[in-house]
Amino acid sequence: MSNKFLETKNVSKTFGKIKALDDVNFNLYKGKIHGLLGENGAGKSSLMNVLSGIYQPEKGSIYLDGQKEKILSPDIASRLGIGMVHQEFRLVESFSIKDNLTLSKSNIYKDNFLKSFKKYSEIFALNVNENEIISDLSVGEKQKIEIMKLIFNDSNIMLLDEPTAVLTPQETSQLKNSLVTLAQEDMKTIVLITHKLKEIKEFTEIVSVMKNGKMVAKDLPTKDVTDNQLIELMMGAVKTSTVDKDNKIGQIKLNVENINFIDEVSNIKKLEEINFHVKSGEILGLAGVSGNGQVELANIISGIEKIFEGKIIINNKDVSNKGVRSRKKLNLSYIPENRLGVGLAPGVSVIDNSIVRDYFHTKLGPHLSKNKTSNLLESLIKQFSIKAPNPKAEISTLSGGNMQKLLMGRELVGDPDVIIASQPTRGLDVNAVDAIHNLLIDQRNKGSAIFLISEDLDELFKLSHRLLVIFEGKIVKSFNTTDANINDVGLAMAGASE
Amino acid sequence: MNKYTLSKRQVVNELSTFYSFLAGFLIALIIGSVILLIQDKSPIDTFSLMFKLSIGSVNSLSSSLNKATPLILAGLGIAIINTVKLWNIGAEGQIFMGAIGVNLIYINFQLTSSTSFIFLLLVSAFVGGAICILIPAVAKVLFGVNEIITTLLTNYIVIGLTIYLVNGPWKDPGSLNFPAAAYVGKEVYLPTIFGKLSYGFLICIFFTAFAHYLKNSSVFGYEMRIAGGSEMTAIYAGINAKQKAFFAMLIGGGFAGLAGGIELLSQTHRVSTGISQGFGYTAIIVAAITGMRPTGIFLVGSLFGALSIGGSVIQTIGVSTYIADIIQVSTLFGALVIQFFFNYQLKRADDG
Ligand SMILES: Nc1ncnc2c1ncn2[C@@H]1O[C@H](COP(=O)(O)OP(=O)(O)OP(=O)(O)O)[C@@H](O)[C@H]1O
Ligand SMILES: [Mg+2]
Repeated sequence: MSNKFLETKNVSKTFGKIKALDDVNFNLYKGKIHGLLGENGAGKSSLMNVLSGIYQPEKGSIYLDGQKEKILSPDIASRLGIGMVHQEFRLVESFSIKDNLTLSKSNIYKDNFLKSFKKYSEIFALNVNENEIISDLSVGEKQKIEIMKLIFNDSNIMLLDEPTAVLTPQETSQLKNSLVTLAQEDMKTIVLITHKLKEIKEFTEIVSVMKNGKMVAKDLPTKDVTDNQLIELMMGAVKTSTVDKDNKIGQIKLNVENINFIDEVSNIKKLEEINFHVKSGEILGLAGVSGNGQVELANIISGIEKIFEGKIIINNKDVSNKGVRSRKKLNLSYIPENRLGVGLAPGVSVIDNSIVRDYFHTKLGPHLSKNKTSNLLESLIKQFSIKAPNPKAEISTLSGGNMQKLLMGRELVGDPDVIIASQPTRGLDVNAVDAIHNLLIDQRNKGSAIFLISEDLDELFKLSHRLLVIFEGKIVKSFNTTDANINDVGLAMAGASE
Repeated sequence: MNKYTLSKRQVVNELSTFYSFLAGFLIALIIGSVILLIQDKSPIDTFSLMFKLSIGSVNSLSSSLNKATPLILAGLGIAIINTVKLWNIGAEGQIFMGAIGVNLIYINFQLTSSTSFIFLLLVSAFVGGAICILIPAVAKVLFGVNEIITTLLTNYIVIGLTIYLVNGPWKDPGSLNFPAAAYVGKEVYLPTIFGKLSYGFLICIFFTAFAHYLKNSSVFGYEMRIAGGSEMTAIYAGINAKQKAFFAMLIGGGFAGLAGGIELLSQTHRVSTGISQGFGYTAIIVAAITGMRPTGIFLVGSLFGALSIGGSVIQTIGVSTYIADIIQVSTLFGALVIQFFFNYQLKRADDG
């Protein structure tokens, strides 16, 4: 292999107790497209943020062209020719394309802007006028401008953090052509982060894999590795499940029939022909990389999203046209993936947040008596061992784990018939994860039907009886967790076709 | 690299707003004293005179409380709207609309029972205030137009409307060159409780209790708090966030309108540009100092009423009335700064 263009040696970065990067060694080679794989939270974005000067590592060094460099700020990174496209858009929405492209002081095409804009518009198959305002562009067009911005800022190393997550398959294959052109003709060095194996295969020459903050494999030639090998590296060893799954399974509690959903804003089909049911006492897992339709599905089942095709049946009642409250009254609970912002209201007190599910019930009313609400909170705190010293304190003063326990406790305390739990343990520490798992199992034993949406395969294997895999809005596979192979599930999640 | 960062305190002292107010008031008195000293006036003499003239006798006390009434009512309205985390800068205009509402009904209807007529007029005042905020409310919930701008703008429109009315259709020929509508009849004057203290103040006490209940104990208040915290949580909880914001704005506008109605029926007795002397703006200060708490608004509103009465009479010893305004504004400023240190703490951090 040619010479290392950029090299990191033993780079470490911690956030509180979390080791986001743990002695990471990583190499980039000039003019090549590199894939970077890893589960959610593996540390991919953190590594990119270190290279682009946004995070300062506590340990380790970075070499560019053999020269040791301290990348103390994004400014320095950009002077060194390193640019990054973040997972979320960072364009100035109210500015024109031209303004966004020429904003940075490291910009090199100020004078002959039009000529270069035309050239790269062709490479990116972009068909818009340079005076167009960003907020009027489609998601795909914005993504192209984001990447083009790196070129205009003279970045030779382009770090692309999940650029394809927001693109349609057509746009993705277009992007592939553009990146290949840039690497071959302009000698750009490119890093592509993605969760889709197909893209790793098609886009990249070299692939590296991260897990739990560590670089578990680096500089693998893409054409020589199999999907199975990559998935094994990403997933690691399966932890053996210790949960007893011989509990009593009863009647069907939740029925989801022929759900089709098109997102109004982007006009993209987000869900296609979704069918499944969950029985009393059963945990049905939904595996998938985030952004494949999970949020939309949960919102449709819970009644937040009202415009869709198909049927939702709770306890044998068709609730497809019913609102959130009537579904709650049929004893549905929903633990949304967005804890603070959806499940809990920021800026509002702990006690107010503790009655979001049932505040309209007469047991608290008609005047939301202070006594009744504080009794309810107190029993939640006791039953679910929540650390919340001051009921009047703002909710975000609680730790993530305690917030989640409060949210779970609030939704579980009435022994719901159906529970939608979305990413219930994301971002929590080991103890909190165990506590949340035990809550779900208790509830299962009490006869709730649980639909568990998660990206964490260990969690899904541990808790669920059956497992569905969602990819690009479709249920692509289903498994029985007792005899399924975790790598097969991983392959299905990454969209690998057999 | 050591940096200092501000972090939000886990637990904020429950009485912090009250302490900040006291500290702010103290700071304001010091600022006031410095200004008086520069003018060669004795602060102690001035302040004790203000004290005597504002609450020293039954008459002065009742004047102060009458003055406080519109401040409190408009402040309560602002606090109710703030439950959904929206700002009402339009209380001034809503006060005028309340008075206009009263006069409109007064000249077009006549009820024999003066009690029920007064009641009807007060209802029209409330409705007038609500109508005044209707356009900002609709613009907010339908198009997300910033309510701070729109409520502020309605002030200018309504004051323009008032000037038009009192110079045109409603102009009282008897008022000679002073542009004002005709006086309302004595039968609709709000009676007094004792001294000069108007029944308006009793209404004000009642509405303070009502606002307290609405904000803190009612289901509607709860829904407003959640809607104000996060629209997504509201939708998740089955609360129509936009609807709550809409009704909060109408009710809050109604409170300010009622202030205008009471002011007309108990003090000015006619519509003119003098219906409000910036009550709607001072009410913002009152509401902000108290952290939007109805009971606090009642207390601070009363104090501010006394300050204006005290301020208006010290002219006699050659001190500008603006000393009262300076104290009011400095109290807010001081209180907000102190409140900040109750809510946040300075921490050393090694990492951004
Ligand atoms: N600014 C931050 N503050 C605290 N923790 C952070 C921060 N940034 C990242 N982390 C934590 O570091 C770990 C690695 O996160 P990172 O964003 O690098 O993962 P990732 O591989 O990019 O995941 P994804 O595929 O979900 O984007 C996670 O546990 C994350 O919670
Ligand atoms: Mg990431």
